[in-house]
Order: sequence, then structure tokens, then C-alpha cells
Amino acid sequence: MKIQSYRFLQFLNKFVIYFVLSFFALVMIFPFLYMLSTSFKLPADTFRYPPRMLPRDPASITVAGYEEPLPLYYVDVNGAQKEYALAKSNIKVGVYAPADNLTATVDRFVDEVTATDKTISVSGKDEKLFDVTVNGKVVSMIQISQTTVGEFIDPQNPEIKAYQNVRKSEPVESVGAHPENYTRVIELNNMNRALTNTALVTILVVVGQLATSVLGGYAFARLKFPGRDTVFVFYLGTIMIPFVMLIVPLYQLMVLIGWTDHLAALIIPWIFSAYGTFLMRQHFITFPKEIEEAALLDGASRMQILTNILIPASVPALATQATFTFLYAWNSFIWPLVIINVGNEKNHVLTLALNVLRGRASDTPNLILAGAAIAIIPPLIVFILGQRFFVESVASSGVKG
Amino acid sequence: MTTYLQTDSRTELLLRISIVWRGIFALLAAGGAISLWTGTLLPAAPLWQKVLVTAALVIASIFSAIGAVLISRRNHGGRMISLTLDYLSFVICAVLALNTGEVFVGIDALAETFTSGIPYLGIVLLGYFLGVMDEYFPQKKQDAETSLKAASRWVMLGGFVLFLFQVGALKGILYFLGKLTQPIGIASVIGMIIFAFSLWLIGQAKTAEALHVKTNHEQILSGWLFLSPNLLGFLIFFAGPLVLSFYFSFTDSDAINTPNWIGFANYAKILNIQFAFLSSPTQLAKEVVDIKIYDEVGRFVIGNSGILFAAADKFFWIALRNTLTFVLFAVPLSVIPALVLSNVLNSKLPGMKFFRSLYFMPSIAAVVGISLVWQWLYNATIGYINYFITLGIEFWNNLFNLAIIDPKIQWVSDEKTALFAVVFIAAWQTMGFNTVLFLAGLQNIPGELYEAATVDGAGAWDKFWAITLPMLAPTTFYVVSTTTIQAMQVFEQVFILMNPPEGPNNSTITLVLYLYRSGFQNFEQGYASAIAWVLFIVIFGLTLVQFQRQRKSSIYES
Repeated sequence: MKIQSYRFLQFLNKFVIYFVLSFFALVMIFPFLYMLSTSFKLPADTFRYPPRMLPRDPASITVAGYEEPLPLYYVDVNGAQKEYALAKSNIKVGVYAPADNLTATVDRFVDEVTATDKTISVSGKDEKLFDVTVNGKVVSMIQISQTTVGEFIDPQNPEIKAYQNVRKSEPVESVGAHPENYTRVIELNNMNRALTNTALVTILVVVGQLATSVLGGYAFARLKFPGRDTVFVFYLGTIMIPFVMLIVPLYQLMVLIGWTDHLAALIIPWIFSAYGTFLMRQHFITFPKEIEEAALLDGASRMQILTNILIPASVPALATQATFTFLYAWNSFIWPLVIINVGNEKNHVLTLALNVLRGRASDTPNLILAGAAIAIIPPLIVFILGQRFFVESVASSGVKG
Repeated sequence: MTTYLQTDSRTELLLRISIVWRGIFALLAAGGAISLWTGTLLPAAPLWQKVLVTAALVIASIFSAIGAVLISRRNHGGRMISLTLDYLSFVICAVLALNTGEVFVGIDALAETFTSGIPYLGIVLLGYFLGVMDEYFPQKKQDAETSLKAASRWVMLGGFVLFLFQVGALKGILYFLGKLTQPIGIASVIGMIIFAFSLWLIGQAKTAEALHVKTNHEQILSGWLFLSPNLLGFLIFFAGPLVLSFYFSFTDSDAINTPNWIGFANYAKILNIQFAFLSSPTQLAKEVVDIKIYDEVGRFVIGNSGILFAAADKFFWIALRNTLTFVLFAVPLSVIPALVLSNVLNSKLPGMKFFRSLYFMPSIAAVVGISLVWQWLYNATIGYINYFITLGIEFWNNLFNLAIIDPKIQWVSDEKTALFAVVFIAAWQTMGFNTVLFLAGLQNIPGELYEAATVDGAGAWDKFWAITLPMLAPTTFYVVSTTTIQAMQVFEQVFILMNPPEGPNNSTITLVLYLYRSGFQNFEQGYASAIAWVLFIVIFGLTLVQFQRQRKSSIYES
């Protein structure tokens, strides 16, 4: 009895744990799912309320006598719901009633009644009189209201017609994606070029930063020279300084060199990183000194030791830093925003292109979110490939920090 | 006792050339420094640049002269000075040559052709994988293995050459050489040759020997050499701008004209505030403060009277208020759930790594893209967030037979909720990152502590309060301070989500946004620099306060 209740408690415990975790997982993942699903939708589908997760395609059907395929709708025919095709929309229907009995209304197509020149005064207002045929007799009536309906036909038998408000009718839909949103957004917003620019900038920043960090980290970790520790403390002290401190003077420096509006401004300053150097130093310092000393005795140069021994042994650390730098370079926004002109679209990176797209396609969320997906998915892939290194190293930075 | 080694005549000659070269270098540098002020060199440069270049040239000149004397005395210090000066000059000439040849600006042209070259990079990758395949070879087939490696190298090289050809490297090189024929280009190439020659002279083993070089000098030189790319870049693109930013904060710099020194005026404008007593809560601001100078920022109402807070630059104070409010909500909202989640994840059940990775995903996605996604989630009529709220309220109403009215919140266009819309995005994005940090901290707590507590009859809750929280204090400090520093710089979410970025009635203008606006829309860059330094002081202060608290609370640790 006791054991059973213990087991039950354990089960309950596990249940609560997985429930909480799944709930947060849903919260974390939902915006991504929303982004993906919307990016495959048709514009009309994105504005539907209540929102739906899966993208839909409106169904259509070819009916004899009509050139274009007609869209299908659910139509109420004598109480039964049927799938009818919309043959004609915007048919005007008026509600008519005799002036002396406004409750006795009849519905007629507007072009079936004839307007007369006569008017009649109803509760102080002059109303136009129409000749309406009721049961074969022509009666003078006034128009109370007017709406538009669509003419729906039975696809099997186009003679059978039904009239209903198109806007209130539910279209027949099937689940269907529209990947062409991606090609459209690429054409619309020069995203092709932005993607290339971002890739180029990111590759060069990652490679450059790894190179300078490895060299500097090695010098800090392994070589003894006067001034080394002072410089290192100086490096450490600047790690916490936020980037926005530099944005104004760095901009003026770029103006001075003549790099504004050029991709070089997004690359060269980012090749040198105090934080990256610090990380590499922390890594190299854990490496056993003896191997290096043995290699030195064998006549190897410092550069050979670095390229042949240390770098091959540091692939996880390098991969981590490469991932960090990749994400930083790929996602950066404020610096490109400052340095690259809005009009100079050929040098835009993805984040800038998204900023432009936001204004240009503000009424088509499907395109905007397709653009967002183009910017978000590559880092996610890098993360999934490098997460083994990445998550561990984030964790260890916190423990040490 | 000093013994002089016999030096052969060739080395003597080389040393003599070095001495003469150092003398010429000193004279050239001094001449450059003088011509800078007589107006022949860089006549249009602003004062600070002239001062900087003069200082560099004067120092180089003095050191070069000292170097000449030291070499003539066969002192190794002369070699050090020579190598340093010539190396730096070589780097400067090389950068100048690259810049004259428009290599840096030419990256734009590379971007144009880069796509067409990508397939050839695929060949390089293929070659790399070919080389890795040798692991699958049986041990004895040495020949096959080496030939495979050779093949891999050739494929990689071939692919890369094809890539270069495809992206128009040939055209680029020709263009580069064409540009290099300008006077500056030719001068810098000649400079490069001279400095390289001088480096070769003094770097020779025999000259080194003649100058009595000790064994540890090799390490000093390679130390500085290895560090130099990093250090130079750091000085030019980080430390230098940082000092410059401090200087700009005392000027009226506008990025175009020469900045004028205006002392503390920028800071004075930021800090020019006034408090005034109000006789009634609705009294107009113009009755108590000079509204030609001051704008009302806010008022605190106490009973039937109140205090009015006015400032010369009301936007700064509104931005500060918004930023601090943002920090006050975003930090706990991202840290506390992270603490809870990490404790749940720390249970050694299957699937925890999966959840951990999942939670991490938001923090790696581009903030710009994420903000666009949330913009549509926040949409008041078709957005999912209001849809979920509606569903929840309907469910609640049906369940308890109530009639709660659906608020239909206008998330981003209502000044009451706009800032919170940003808070939720930021909390959502940093939560997973913080969870991973906390999890690592938790896994460092020794299990014996919990076992001992269990033996003593402590419940789960007691253990959390008495063991987990105190032991986690260093991690918590790290998490809270990094999250705070990040939150203080909130910009991208606001910039993308809000239209205009300052939000309805300035409710989302933040310090960085205001800095951006002053510096890059109004081009008051001196003022923007001052804002940056005030922001830095606020961040520094907050970190310091947290550090003090952490020190107090970490008594448990020892």
C-alpha cells in the first residue's frame, strides 16, 4: 500500500515535470511555428480570424460553360450544406416593401425592378418608388435596403442556382502550402543580395576573428613577454563595455577612412575581439605545456606548434567560438543600420533588408514572415549542428564567470 | 667583464646600414611631424588627428634615434626598437597599399560575384571530405592513404582556384594593380620594400648575434608579434574609439564639421532638471517652472499637492525611466522562470537535453526577425495573443458563469502596454539562455549537501531555500548582471516593433534609441556620446550594486 502510493507520487512528479517543460517548450517554439506557417500562407488566409495554424488553399472547380475554374463555397441549400461554385459575385439585391406596409418585404434583384420617377413621403422623407412584380402583378414599392450576393451553382448541374452573401460564406479549403512566398519576397526586396552579403560578411568575420583570437590567445597563454599581463588586464576590463559606447566614434572613424556604406565597415572592426581572445587564452592555458616544449626542442617554430599541434587539438573550442561569432555577425542590426545607407540596397545585410521589408510589405504578413524565416533559419541550422559544443560552453562560461 | 665577439665584415656592413637607416628614419619622422604643422601634410585634418599623428611621428623619431645609438653600441635594445618600428611601419604601408588598391571597399564587388562562386566552394568542401576519408582505410595501405591525401589537397586547391576565377579575382587583381599606380600606392609599396629589407637586415641570425641577443628575446618578440594583429585592431577599433567617445562627449561634434570643445555643456544639458511643488495635482507646469527651458517629465501626486519633475531634455529622462522600467520587468521575467525551469530540467529524466536545446532556440534567432514575428502575434485583431486571451476568457466565463469582458488589448499602439510588449519579447528571448546558465550552476552543487539535508528530514522546498539558492548565488549574480547589462541596451525590439520607434506618446523610447536618434538622425554626435557615457555609468552602477549584494549573500559559500 505504501509502496503503491510512493509509485503514484513518483508518477505524479514526473507528470508535473513533463507538463511544465512541455508548456514552456510550446511557449518557446510557438512563435517559430507561427512564422513558418504564416510564411506559407496566402495573404487572405493570414488575415483570417480566428487564426489557423496550417496554411490553406481555396478549392476551385471547372464547370462546363465557364472558362476559369470557379471557387468553391459551402452554400446552404434548403437547410443542407452543399459545395457550390461561385459563378457571379456582386449581384445587387434590394429589399422592397409597399409604402403603407413596411413589414411586408420582398427580395428582388435590382435589375429585375424598374425605377419610376414618382416619390412618396414615408415618415417625413421622400422615397423613390419602384415597380416590383409580385405574384405576376406590378406593385409600387420603396427600397428599404440593398445588399450584394453571389450566384452559386451546383458544379454537377449548373442550372441549379443559389444566392448567398459571398463574404459570409465559408470557402471550401484544403491544406496547401505556398512556398512561392519565399521567391516573391526575394524578388521584392533584393533579399538575394542581402543573403549573399550577410553570408560573406559572416564568413569573413568568423575566419578573421578566429585567426586574430588564436594568435592573441596563444601569446597571452603561452609566451612570456614584458607588458603581457598589463595588456591582458586591459583586455579583460573592456569586455563588459557595451558596444553602444563605441557607435559614434567608430562611425566617425569609418567616415574618416571612407568605409561608410561599404561592407568593409561591417567586417574589419569585428575581426578583433577582446572577448574571443580571452576565450582562446582560457582554452590554450589548459593545454599541457610539455608537448609544446618537446616540439620546441625538436626545432619547431612557434607558428608550427600553433598550426600543427594546438589548433588541431582545439577544434571544439574553435567551433564554439565560430558559432558565437557567426550568430553575432549574422544577427547584428544596430551597426549596419548606422553605417549602411537605407538607399544603398546592394550593400544591405539581412537584418537591414528585413527593416526595409517591414515598411514595404506591411500588408502582407506572409511575405514579411518569409523574410524573417530566411534570416532566422540559417542560424538555427548552425545551432543544431554546433549545439553540442555551443550549449556546453555557454554553461561553462557561466560557471567560471 | 664583457667579451666582444668577432663579427665578420658582412655583418659589420649590415649593422652600419641599419644605423644609417635608423638615422634617416628619425629625420623623416621628425620632418613629417614638422610638415604636419606647416600645412604641407594633411592640411584638412582636424586638430585631434594632427595631434595624434604628430605624437606618433615624434615618438617614432625619438625611438629611431635612440635605436641608432644603441645599435652602434651593439646593444640588443637597438634591435628591439628597430624591429618594432620597422614592423609597425611595414604594417601601416601594407594597409595603406591595400586601401589605395581599394581592397577593403572592393569587398562589395566580391559580394556581387560571390554567389556564382559558391558551387566551387562545394568542390573545396568535397576535397576536404576526401582527405578525412583516410580514417576508413586499413592501417597497412600507407600508399593509398598518402595519395588520397594528396588528391584531397589538389581537389581543394583546384576548387579554390576555380572559385577565385569565378568570382573575378583576376579582374580584381588587375584593378588593384591599376589603382596601386597612384603616387600614394607606389610610395606605400616602396615603403613596404624598404621596411621589409630593414626587417630582414636586423632579423638575421648573425646581426642578432652581434647585438648580443639573449635567448628569452625570441619569446618576447614572438609574443608581441603574435599579439600584434589583435592588439593593433583592438587599439584602432576599440580602445581608440572609446577615448574618442569620451572626447566627443565634451564637444558639439556633428560628424561633418570640426568639433568644438564645449566643456561640460552636454552633460549639463542632460542633468539640467528641476523639481517644483504643486499646489494642486492638476496645476499647469508653466505656473511652477520656466517652460522656455524645462519640459515636464512627470509628476508625483501626494494627497492634494504634488511634486513636478521637469528637465531641460525631457526625452532623456523619459528614456531613462522607460529603460529602467524595462529592466525592472524584463530581468525578473527572464531570470525567475529560468531558475524554475533549470531546477525542473535538473531532474535526471530522459529528454532533458532535448528540452534544453529547445529553450535555447529563441536566444540565437535574429532579434529583428523575432520582433517581426511578434509584431504579428501582437496584432490586436488577428494576432494569436489576443486570440488566446479571448479563448481563455470565454472558457473562464463558461466555467464560472461570469461575464468578464474581452479587453482586446491594442498591444503596440496603447501607451500602457507598448513597453510590456517589448518586455515579453526580451524575456522570451533570454529565458532559455539563462536556463542553461542556471543548469550548469546547479550541476556544480555537490549532491552530498542534498543527501545530508534529506537525512535531516528537509523537504524539497527547504532544500531549495537552504541549499540551492545560496549555492547558486555566484551563477545568479552572473545571470542577473549580464541580463541587466543587455536589457539596459534594449533597442532592436523597440525599433522594429514600434512604428514610430519611440512608441505611442514616447512610451517606448529607450536610452539607446534616444542615443541613436540624437547621434544618427539629428547628428548631434557629441550629445550622443554624452548619453553613451551616462548609460555606461548607469550600467556600471547597477552592476556594482549587484556585485555588493552578491558579496554579502555569498557568505554561505565559505
